[in-house]
Amino acid sequence: MRSKLAPLAALTVAALGLTLAGCSTGGDAGDSGDVTTITFGNWRVEDQALWEENVIPAFEAAHPDIKVTYQPTGTDDYNAAIQSQIESGTGPDVIMCRPFDVNRAWIDDGYFDDLTSLEGIDGFTDTALAAWQGNDGNPYCVPIASVLAGFYYNKAIFKELGLEIPTTMAEFTDVLQAIKDDGKYTPLALGSADGWQLSYNVLDSIGPNYWQGEDGRLGLIDGTKKLTDPEFVDAFQAVSDLKSFMPDGYQALTYEDQMQLFTLGKAAIMPDGSWDVTAATASGLDVGVFAPPVVKDGDQRYLQEMPDQGVGLNADSKNKDAAKTLLSWLASSDFQSIYVDKVPGFFSMGSEPVTYTNALAQEFADLKTDALLTPRLQLDRLSAGTPPLDDNTWAVLQTVFNDGVSATDATSKLQTDLDSWYTPAG
Amino acid sequence: MIRTGTRYRLLAIFVLPALLVYAGFSVYPLLSSVALSFFDSDNGASTFTGFGNYVYLFTDPYVSERFWNALRNSVEFFAIHLVVELPIGLLMAALLTSNSIRKSRGVYRTLLFIPATLSVVIVGFLWRLIINPLWGLVGFPLLGDATTALPTISLMSVWQYIGIPMIFLFTALIAIPDDILEASRIDGARAWATFWQIKFPLILPQFGLIAILTYIWTFNGFDIVYALNGSAPGPNYSTDILGTMFYRTFFGSSGQVADTDLGATIASVVFFIILVTTAAYFVVLQRRLKTYEL
Repeated sequence: MRSKLAPLAALTVAALGLTLAGCSTGGDAGDSGDVTTITFGNWRVEDQALWEENVIPAFEAAHPDIKVTYQPTGTDDYNAAIQSQIESGTGPDVIMCRPFDVNRAWIDDGYFDDLTSLEGIDGFTDTALAAWQGNDGNPYCVPIASVLAGFYYNKAIFKELGLEIPTTMAEFTDVLQAIKDDGKYTPLALGSADGWQLSYNVLDSIGPNYWQGEDGRLGLIDGTKKLTDPEFVDAFQAVSDLKSFMPDGYQALTYEDQMQLFTLGKAAIMPDGSWDVTAATASGLDVGVFAPPVVKDGDQRYLQEMPDQGVGLNADSKNKDAAKTLLSWLASSDFQSIYVDKVPGFFSMGSEPVTYTNALAQEFADLKTDALLTPRLQLDRLSAGTPPLDDNTWAVLQTVFNDGVSATDATSKLQTDLDSWYTPAG
Repeated sequence: MIRTGTRYRLLAIFVLPALLVYAGFSVYPLLSSVALSFFDSDNGASTFTGFGNYVYLFTDPYVSERFWNALRNSVEFFAIHLVVELPIGLLMAALLTSNSIRKSRGVYRTLLFIPATLSVVIVGFLWRLIINPLWGLVGFPLLGDATTALPTISLMSVWQYIGIPMIFLFTALIAIPDDILEASRIDGARAWATFWQIKFPLILPQFGLIAILTYIWTFNGFDIVYALNGSAPGPNYSTDILGTMFYRTFFGSSGQVADTDLGATIASVVFFIILVTTAAYFVVLQRRLKTYEL
């Protein structure tokens, strides 16, 4: 009978395995000749070829005395893997940083070295660095890339139906209604089976125009605003109003389903993040992108720019000099132009201009013109307790879409849950 | 004749390799996981907190709500397996032993067992396409409705693993000697009476065993839910079972720090629930089932 408990034990073994994996790769700190090998721990499994074929060779050509090992862990296991590696003293030399609260917890636990004096870190604005600052206000990670969110649209369908790109919410509703009335296409490729994207790609995309970007976001953090304030309730209402333009059975449609619907040319508009520029154009459609419409004509426009990846220095690293050389190089435009060119949909966070060869990525970057940028609402400080506002928003938005919960009830539940643990930093 | 002392020494030598592997890779991690649940390593250092994590798990309003929800869902997940998978498995096993399909028995047995050999990811993907409201057979969003989502996933799992109780009970059924069945026929018993009064009582111990195995498998369940709905299984946690809750807590998510201590606490609670129920089953029920010498 005892052996039937093996699945449970296997999970524990898996955790042990993570630690062992750390030992085998993190421990090779010793110099071989004059070459120092440093490891780079990260969650971008899908970018391994890009880094190993393009980015790392460019760095190693400039710094022949340093070799870099790319050491990815799947994004779902990344936090646990890094935590167990660092706590057993076998962490990689440079570590990819999650934005905001996870990273702040890691900084508090002493995982990273302060990078205030790092060469090149002054090339970033405070806004770019904000996602990886400690409670002391110092930078702990070099910003690598950010992502944007907007609305992809099928240019052929817009042309066929004689539609214009909407700039206000009223025009947006008219466009969606016109597509619905025509009946040939689904107006909005959106399903609510995946909670995260309702939050990141819909609420945090349309919402900033209602809660005035940073005003609303920082207001929640310092306690001067509540999610039950009209600007937030209106934003939830605007998201909820999209229901009538979504495909039948949207309650069970996943993120992958909606992408399929859009790329097959059966839907006109799809809210999504910039990381999908390659996927959205994969079937050869002529795709454009427009910014989340403003509430009223003449309003200031806001756009979500979410810091996605930063890189920090392991406080226990035995090769700090080599690691700092790599970090300084990652802060340079040399690196940024290689990276954003090879991974369309991810955007440089440096102050120096970078051009994008992918047309749709350039179109996305152009949305930043005249817009005030703001990261996702939930991730800074508001997700550092239980329940995290982040996960809670996913689940609550799903009840808005699937169970018909009203915007008022949804926001008041979120605020009540937040109040149960959060003390405003004001 | 080998002396008793030597016999035990020999026995120990034969058992030792398996025992070492079992202790090193099964017992030790299990115990260290239980040990981990008594520590709190929130601020870098690991401190002993006794039952602190357990108190937190059962008293924090949000975390305990998630836990009871996951436990309820696990019970439902198991109940659906119990009332659907086992009877159908029994029926299939009984049909397989029937003489009318004696020639094609192998074909049926293989066909019915095939799903159990597929990867859950494939099973989840197939069924998701079949019941997809956009391009599938069913217009109703089965996986999007909080009341139908968990039964739907449970039935997918039943579909996949139906072959296991079937094969298990089938082998028990064919082990029944023909002379007993012949005797019942001579006494005038029809097929129905033969099955319920002769065959079923004879395989009852195996039936009980597969029921408790199903209980263990479903309470340790994780993969099908994770493959379909990820680690925060929606809608609104209606398909969250103990396995996914453990995973989410232990490994964290992109926006959540991994809490290995609380994860270990959940794992220990699950272990304890399974241990107690299984032990109770064996003490109270399985011992009373009559086994017949055939």
